[in-house]
Amino acid sequence: MKLITKFILIYLTVTVFVLGIGGVISYYIIQDEVDKELQWEFLERIDRVTYLLEQGRRFNPRRNIEGDRNLIIQELDYPVEDRVEVTDTLIWHNRLEQNEQNVKVSAYRNINGSPYFISTYGAMIESDDIREAVVKTLLWIIGLQIVGALGIGYFISGRLFKPFRKTLDRIRNFDLHQKEILPAEETSVAEFTDLNRFIEQMTRKAVSDYKNLKEFSENASHELQTPLAIAKGKLELLTESNLTEEQYRYVESLERSIKKLSRLSESLSILTKIENYEFINDQTADLSKLITESIEEFREFIIFNKIEIETDIQENVSVQMHPALTEIMWTNLFQNAIKHNIPDGTIKVILNPNELIISNTGKPLSVNPDQLFERFRKDDQNSSSIGLGLSIVERIAHQNQFNIDYTSKNEWHTIRIELNPVKPV
Amino acid sequence: MKLLIVEDNLDLLENMTTYLEREGHICEAAEDYRQGFDKIMSHSYDVVLIDIMIPKGNGLDLLKELKSVKPQTGSIIISAKNSLDDKVNGLELGADDYITKPFQLPELQARIKAVTRRNQHEGNQIIEVHELSIHTNTREVKVDDQTVDLTPKEYDLLLYFASNKNFVLSKQTIAEHLWGDYVDHLENLDFVYQHIKNLRKKLVAAGANDYIESIYSIGYKFKV
Repeated sequence: MKLITKFILIYLTVTVFVLGIGGVISYYIIQDEVDKELQWEFLERIDRVTYLLEQGRRFNPRRNIEGDRNLIIQELDYPVEDRVEVTDTLIWHNRLEQNEQNVKVSAYRNINGSPYFISTYGAMIESDDIREAVVKTLLWIIGLQIVGALGIGYFISGRLFKPFRKTLDRIRNFDLHQKEILPAEETSVAEFTDLNRFIEQMTRKAVSDYKNLKEFSENASHELQTPLAIAKGKLELLTESNLTEEQYRYVESLERSIKKLSRLSESLSILTKIENYEFINDQTADLSKLITESIEEFREFIIFNKIEIETDIQENVSVQMHPALTEIMWTNLFQNAIKHNIPDGTIKVILNPNELIISNTGKPLSVNPDQLFERFRKDDQNSSSIGLGLSIVERIAHQNQFNIDYTSKNEWHTIRIELNPVKPV
Repeated sequence: MKLLIVEDNLDLLENMTTYLEREGHICEAAEDYRQGFDKIMSHSYDVVLIDIMIPKGNGLDLLKELKSVKPQTGSIIISAKNSLDDKVNGLELGADDYITKPFQLPELQARIKAVTRRNQHEGNQIIEVHELSIHTNTREVKVDDQTVDLTPKEYDLLLYFASNKNFVLSKQTIAEHLWGDYVDHLENLDFVYQHIKNLRKKLVAAGANDYIESIYSIGYKFKV
C-alpha cells in the first residue's frame, strides 16, 4: 500500500471516529439546551397561572386554558410548601405512534391560603429531529473531509513527496563499483534533507569501506607474493649449484610449501574480493562450453589417475555470472573430484538448465559434509589442500543466489548446485 | 640480449639478474620510475620488464612512455596483484606479456625468449640446438630436416627446455608451465614424467641425442 493511501485511510478512520463521538455529544448538548429553554417557558406559564389564581380566577381541574391541553391545575386538600419539580416523562405521541420524551414542570403553590398543584409538560423538538439534524450535519462534514483528504493526498504525492521519490530513485541506481557517493540535495522539507544527508554519509562510508578493503586485499597480496617470489627465485638459483640428492629433496619440498603459501594467499584474496562484491554479475557465462572444454583439458590427468568420467551435459546452458567466478567455481569443483577420488574411481557430471551435479567416488567422510564449506575445514587434516576450495565455491554460489548442497552416501560424494539459467536467446 | 628490469625489490632483482645473466643476457636495473624513465629514454633494450608497483610512479605509465618512444621494444609486465584490471590495462597499453608474482625464473626466461622471437623477423623464429630445430611459427620440430611428430604438450615441453638450456627444471615448474593453474591442486606430478619419457623416446627414435637428463628423478635438465 502506498504511504499516501495509508495516510488518507488513517486520517479518514480517525475522522469518522471523532465525528461519531462528536455527534453523540452534539445530540446531548442540543437536547439539554432545548430542555432548559422549555423549563424556562413552563415556569413562566406556571407563574402566569399563579397570577391568574391570585386574581381570583378559577379553573376546573384537568381543564386546559387557552387551548393548552398540557396544563393541570389542582386544588389540594392538604398543606404544601412552595416548591418546583422538573422531571422527564414519556408521553404517547399519537402521530408518531411512539412514546416521546417530554419535559414536565410541576409546582406546589399556596395561593390566597389554598394549596395548589400546577403542572405542565411538552417537547419543543422531537428527539428524532435532533438526531436527524446531527447525522445530516456530520455526513456533510465527512463528505467535505474526504474531498479534502483526497485533494491533500494528491498534492502530497505530487509535489511534497517529489524529493523523496527522487531520493529513492538515486538509491536504486546506486552502484558501489562506480565508487561515487550520493551527495545530499537540499529540499524544503527538513526530514527529507535529513534523509539525504544520512544517505550521503552512508554511501560515503560504503564507498570508502569498499575501496579500503579492495586496496587492502591487493596490497596484502602484493606484500605476501613479493617475498614468496624472492624465496622461490633463491631456491631456483640454489638448484643450479650442484646439490646432493638429499639437498635437492629439501629444496623441492620447500618449493612445494612456497607454492602452497602462494595459493593460500591467492585464495584468501579471491574470497575477500567475492565478499567485497568486486565481481559484477553482468555477464553471461556459457557453462556447457566451459565444462566440456575443461574436461578435455583435464582428460590427461583423468586417464593418468585411472578415473572414469561420465557426463550428461546439455548444450547452451548459460548463467548470469562473472566469467572469472564461473571458471573458479567449476575448476575448484572438478579438481576436488579428481583429487579426492580413489584409484579406479568415477566422476559423474550432470548439467541441465536447472542444476549442476558433480559426484565422485571417494573415501567416506569423517565430518558432516556441510562443514566442508567452512574455511580451512578439511576431512583429512594432513592433506596438502588448503581447505578453501569449497568455501570459495560456496561463496560464489551464494552470491549468485544458487542453492548448494553436499551429500555423502556410501563412497559417493555429490555436490549439487541449483542454477538460475539465462534463457537462450 | 639486453634487458632492463624495473623492480624496486632488490632481492627479487638479484634473483632475476643472476638467473638471466647466466643465460648470457645483459641485465640493467632500475629501482624506481625516475631511473626507469631515464634508462628507457637514453638506451635501447630488447626487452623491458616492468613491475607495476614501483616507487615514484606507476609501472603502467612507464610502459606507456616506452611504447610511445620505442614501440618495437619487447615488454613484460610483472605484477603481484593478480588483478584482471591490471592485466587488461597492461596488455591494452601494448605489453607483450604479463606475469604474476610469484613467478618461476625459468618461466620468466621462456617468456622473454618468446617475446623476442615474436618481435624478430621470420628467419629468426627457429631455435637450433645441434641437430634439433624448433620452428616456432609452425610449431614444428625437425631432427636433421626430418619432422618429428609431437603432441602439442610435448612440443611446449621441448620449447621450454630449449629456452632454459642447462638449467634444472623441477617437475612442479614444468607442470605449471604446461598446465598453468590447472595443476595447482594436484598432488601427483607423475604425469610430467610420462610426458618427458614420451618426448625423449620420440626424439631418440628420430635420431637425436638424448639431451634431457634426470636430476635424482625430481627435476630435469636440458643439457647441451
